[in-house]
Order: sequence, then structure tokens, then C-alpha cells
Amino acid sequence: MANVILRDLTKQYSGNSAPSLDKLNLEIADGEFVCLVGPSGCGKTTALRMIAGLEDVTSGEIEIGGRVVNDLPSRDRDIALVFQSYALYPHLTVADNMSFGLQLRKVPKAEIEQAVQSAAKILDLVDLLKRKPAQLSGGQRQRVALGRALVRDPAVFLMDEPLSNLDAKLRVQTRAEISQLHHRLQATMLYVTHDQVEAMTMADRIAVMNLGVLEQYGTPRELYNSPNNQFVAGFIGSPSMNFVSMHINRDTKQVHLTGVSADSNIKVTLTDEQSDVLRKSDGDDVVVGVRPEHLSERPLDHAGFSAAAKVEVIEFLGNDEHIHATSDGLDLVAILNAQAGVARGDSITLSAPHDTVHFFHVQTGAALR
Amino acid sequence: MTTAIETSGPSIPTTEPTKRRHVLRRLLSSRGPSNVVLGIIAILWLVPTVSLIIISLRPEADFSVSGWWKVLFSPTSLTFSNYRVLFGQGFVAGGLLDSLMTSLEITVPATLLVVFFACFAGHSLVFGRWRGRDVVFLTIVGLMVVPVQVALIPVVQFYHELGNLFGLNPYGTIPGVIIFHVAFGLPFGIFLMRNFMSGIPKDLLEAARMEGAGEWKVFYRIVLPLALPALASLAIFQFIWVWNDLLVALVFLGGNAHTPLTIFLYDQNRELQANYWIISTGAIVSVVVPLIVFFSFQRYFVRGVLAGAVK
Repeated sequence: MANVILRDLTKQYSGNSAPSLDKLNLEIADGEFVCLVGPSGCGKTTALRMIAGLEDVTSGEIEIGGRVVNDLPSRDRDIALVFQSYALYPHLTVADNMSFGLQLRKVPKAEIEQAVQSAAKILDLVDLLKRKPAQLSGGQRQRVALGRALVRDPAVFLMDEPLSNLDAKLRVQTRAEISQLHHRLQATMLYVTHDQVEAMTMADRIAVMNLGVLEQYGTPRELYNSPNNQFVAGFIGSPSMNFVSMHINRDTKQVHLTGVSADSNIKVTLTDEQSDVLRKSDGDDVVVGVRPEHLSERPLDHAGFSAAAKVEVIEFLGNDEHIHATSDGLDLVAILNAQAGVARGDSITLSAPHDTVHFFHVQTGAALR
Repeated sequence: MTTAIETSGPSIPTTEPTKRRHVLRRLLSSRGPSNVVLGIIAILWLVPTVSLIIISLRPEADFSVSGWWKVLFSPTSLTFSNYRVLFGQGFVAGGLLDSLMTSLEITVPATLLVVFFACFAGHSLVFGRWRGRDVVFLTIVGLMVVPVQVALIPVVQFYHELGNLFGLNPYGTIPGVIIFHVAFGLPFGIFLMRNFMSGIPKDLLEAARMEGAGEWKVFYRIVLPLALPALASLAIFQFIWVWNDLLVALVFLGGNAHTPLTIFLYDQNRELQANYWIISTGAIVSVVVPLIVFFSFQRYFVRGVLAGAVK
């Protein structure tokens, strides 16, 4: 077991103007489960491959278990990587796939046998040990790939979107299995995914990345409740947070927000605290953010955010439904209780309490608080 | 189709020609007739080989008297005497057995060396980390178009030059022929192996490297087993080319006491009369060896060896 520290880790591919990874600083504690999450091309896989030793480091440092491993080959880093494609050796049986690394290390046969058996038990692969990868289902292959990492008992587990090739149901199941596995092994795990739901459900801490830059690093709760910037706010949570541009009116004692047009249907009232924050901020405009799940069709006494909107689309999900409604030409999404009885074409007022309203700087996207 | 016919002519009962077309179509779409046609083609294809076998099994005297198909009416006249005579000579220079051995002496090393070098070259061209791999590969592909005939005389001269400079003239020797075949087999061999290996997912190699495999282990534990189908086909191709080669052997071994089977057979074409009993018997012997090679490597042509590797 070991911690992982990245210091100013940078990757610049020749021919690209912008670095694929720009000065990434990250500390992963011993036994922690950390998710690197971001849209494709954000540099998360590059970071993982650099830690794995599959990509050269342009600049910066990678430290695993107190030892800088920049110049160590992969095999000496005491890490295991679960590939997105699983990368099982097709000509070897499941047992041989799992023991390949140990065989290379000349571990005694009895020990290999024991390690494979115990990993197979954990992952429910005992009956499949004699099969070849081609004879396995996607989920089974995925478990073999996990088993191959498990058998080696590495200091750090690296996983590169290991669930992306599974169907939705299996993904949920395997997600829980990996969480259990982490709980059981108390191993340091770094998990790359583009799926924020995966990150939210599994991680102790999440690193949200965008365009090669770390946007925010924190627990799922921190990221959800107080996103550092508009990108994180929009990325975490599903459906995505609603954003509305508004004008700051600082004339009076109390700061007021007004809509883009004079007869705007969207109204935001501010608490004193919020008012102070916005008074101090620069610029004449601000981006207001409200999560769909915080919007309600019932009128609130002291609503922070309210919008008179027309319902355009209703997505029924069983217990609740996603409402797409337009207000001032903007598409707002709200998650309402399916019993609310909202119908297509209805005019409703969506409102949210003060403490659920977020403010972001128009230019930088930074959270104002 | 039938409905279209019926609706176009209102209430006209199915006419005789359309019914016949119907039957024909059903006949063609079922498997029976196509099997019959294929069977006929297969039999036609086999006629030359079968006739050759029969000729080799008939006494020499019969050949000039009657055609081989006469045997179909009197199968008792077949005999192994031709084989007995040719094999009975033993390993005398210029005999069938000696030529068979010489053919093997040339073909086996020429095949093994090409397979050996092509595997390494393929691995390096696909997975190596050096600049100019593509240029080297394209150059090698370019070499594939050089016809053997163009190179014969320069290579002979080159061999003589080697003799003048180092006292080692490969001309007229079996190693000389082997070197020539290896040199001309390699471009295609490298082409084949490189292209096949480039289909091996890089993830597999990365996984192996992460687990502690060095380049050598990666090569023979991962890449080589996965490239087995390509390797088997390359071995078969190369074996058959070299085995059937007459031109190179004639140029480089002409006049040598030990010659391969192709020259042995060629020499039986005498000016006045060809020794058909020797040609037919020798030809059968020369066919048997490639057949053995083919069938022993055939099991490696397992399709989808890479199935289940990724995804």
C-alpha cells in the first residue's frame, strides 16, 4: 500500500500547441479511492498512463510510496493497471492470464496457485480458470482483468474506464463490486472515468479535469454542494445544472439581479450575504446556477430563484420526471415528482430556495461565494 | 415475385413458362444442384493428378502403348515397380532419393531462416521505438516487386566477387542457393508478419510490460503465439516456393552433382524421348512433401486467435 503524489505533472506531445496535461498536482492518500473524471480529451487517461509508466513525463514528478518513479520502468513501480479494453492475453487461459506477472517474477508455483485461487474466489472466477478469454462474457472478462491486477497485490491499482464496455445493468453491479473490493483490500486506487455517476458513487475523492487542467479536487459532497467553478458545477450532477446569465444592479443599497430583457420571467432574489458577494465581484453580469433537483413547481415563500416557464418536454422516469421548460428562450430542466401532475404546454413557475442558488463569474467561470 | 406476375396479368392462371422458371429457381436455390456442379468441377480438377498417379503406377512399357485411362478397365496392371526401381538406387548422386534430400537441404533452412528473420523484423517494425520504421517498411515492400530474374546475374557476379575477396564463393553450393532464397523470401515474409502483428492490440504488450515482461519475453510469450497463423502461412508459402523453384537452382547449381528434385525432373526431358515413368513417379514424390508440410501446419490456421483479447 502506498500514497501517490503528483507534482506539476505535465505532458506535452510534440506537434500539439497546448499541453495535454498542464501542471497537475494531486495527492492520493494511502488506501484512498480517487476518481479522475472529465470529458474526453481532458488529460485524465494521459495522467494515468504517465503514472503507469506507459508515457514519458515531460516535466514534473510522480511519487509512489515516497519514491520518485519518473525514470523507473512500469514493472518496477509496483502498480497494476486495469485496461479499458481489458487486454487479456487471448492465447492463455484465465488462470494463466492472472498468473502471468507472477510467472515472470519467478514466484514459486504453489504461491502462484494460492494467489490465483484466492483472487478467483473473491471475483467468483473459480469455475472459469481453465477457459480462454474468447469463451467469456464481457463481465467475466472484466473480472479477469481485475483479477490479474489483484493477484499481483500491487501498492496502487490504476483503472482506465474499466466499466465502459459493459452494459448498463452490469455496470451498476460491477461498480458495487469494485467498491466492495476497495473496502476489503483497503488499497490505493486511482480510477479514470468520464462518467460522473461512477465517480460520485465510488470515489472517496474526485479530481475533475478539463482541457489538461485540474478544475477541482474534493469529496463528492464538496463537489456537488460547492463547485469551484461553472465547469465543475455543470459536470457533476445529472441532469446538468441550469445556468442563467443575469445583470447585476448595484445602484441601491441592496444588490439586485435583473434579467437580460426588461420583462424577464426569471427572478432571483438575494440574501444579504449573496448581495455582499456580488457587490464585491467585478463585471456587470453573473451566471446563476440552479440544479434541476432543487427546482420545484410548488410556490415557495422566499424563493431565491423563480422562473415562469412553459413545459415543452416531459421525460417520465417512474418516481419522478424530468421537465424541460422554456423561460426567456432558455431551456430549464427540473426534476419534479411524477405525482405533481404537470402536463406538456402547462405554464408553471419553477422555484428554488436561496441556499441552492450558485453564482459564477461570467468570464472566468469561478464560483462567487 | 409470383404475386407480381399474377397482379400484372389480371386473373390469368400461372402459365407454363413461369412454372418452369419457378422450378428452375427452386432448383438453383437449393443446395443439391450446386453441390453437383461443384463436385463435377472438383473431379475435373483432380483428373491431371489422378492421371499422374496412375502413370507412375503403370509399367514403363505400357506408357507408349496405351493411355492411362485404360487402367480403369484393368486395374490389375498397376504396379509399384517404378517406385521400387527409383528408390532402389539409394542415395546415388543424380538419383531420386539424392535429389529429394538436396531439395530438403535447400528448402528447410531457406524456410526456417525466412520465418525466423521475418518474425523479429515484424516485431521491431510494429512495436519497436525507433525512427524511420515506416520508411524501412516501405523500402522492404518496394523490394517485393524486384523480379528474381533481374537479380540472377548480379548475384552470381557478387558471389564470385566474394570468392575473389575472401576465398568463400557461395556459387554452386547449397548455402549459396539458400542465401538467395532467403534474400528473396524476406520482403514478403516481413510484409506479412509486420501487417499481421500490427493487428495485435498494443494494450496486450503494455499489459505484459507492466507485469514485468522485457522486450524478449513480450516477443515470445505474447507476440509470437498470437502471430502463429501468419507464421504458419508464411512457412507454407516459402516452403512451396523454394521447393518448386527450378530457375534459381539451375543458375546456381547447374552442373552440380547434387541437384534438387526440380532439376532431377527437368533432366528427364531427354532430346528424343522423355522418361515419363521417372517424371511421373518423381513428380508424385515431389508433391507429397509439400502436402505433408501443408497439413501439419494447417491446424495453426485457427481463425480468430485474437478473439477475446480486447473488449
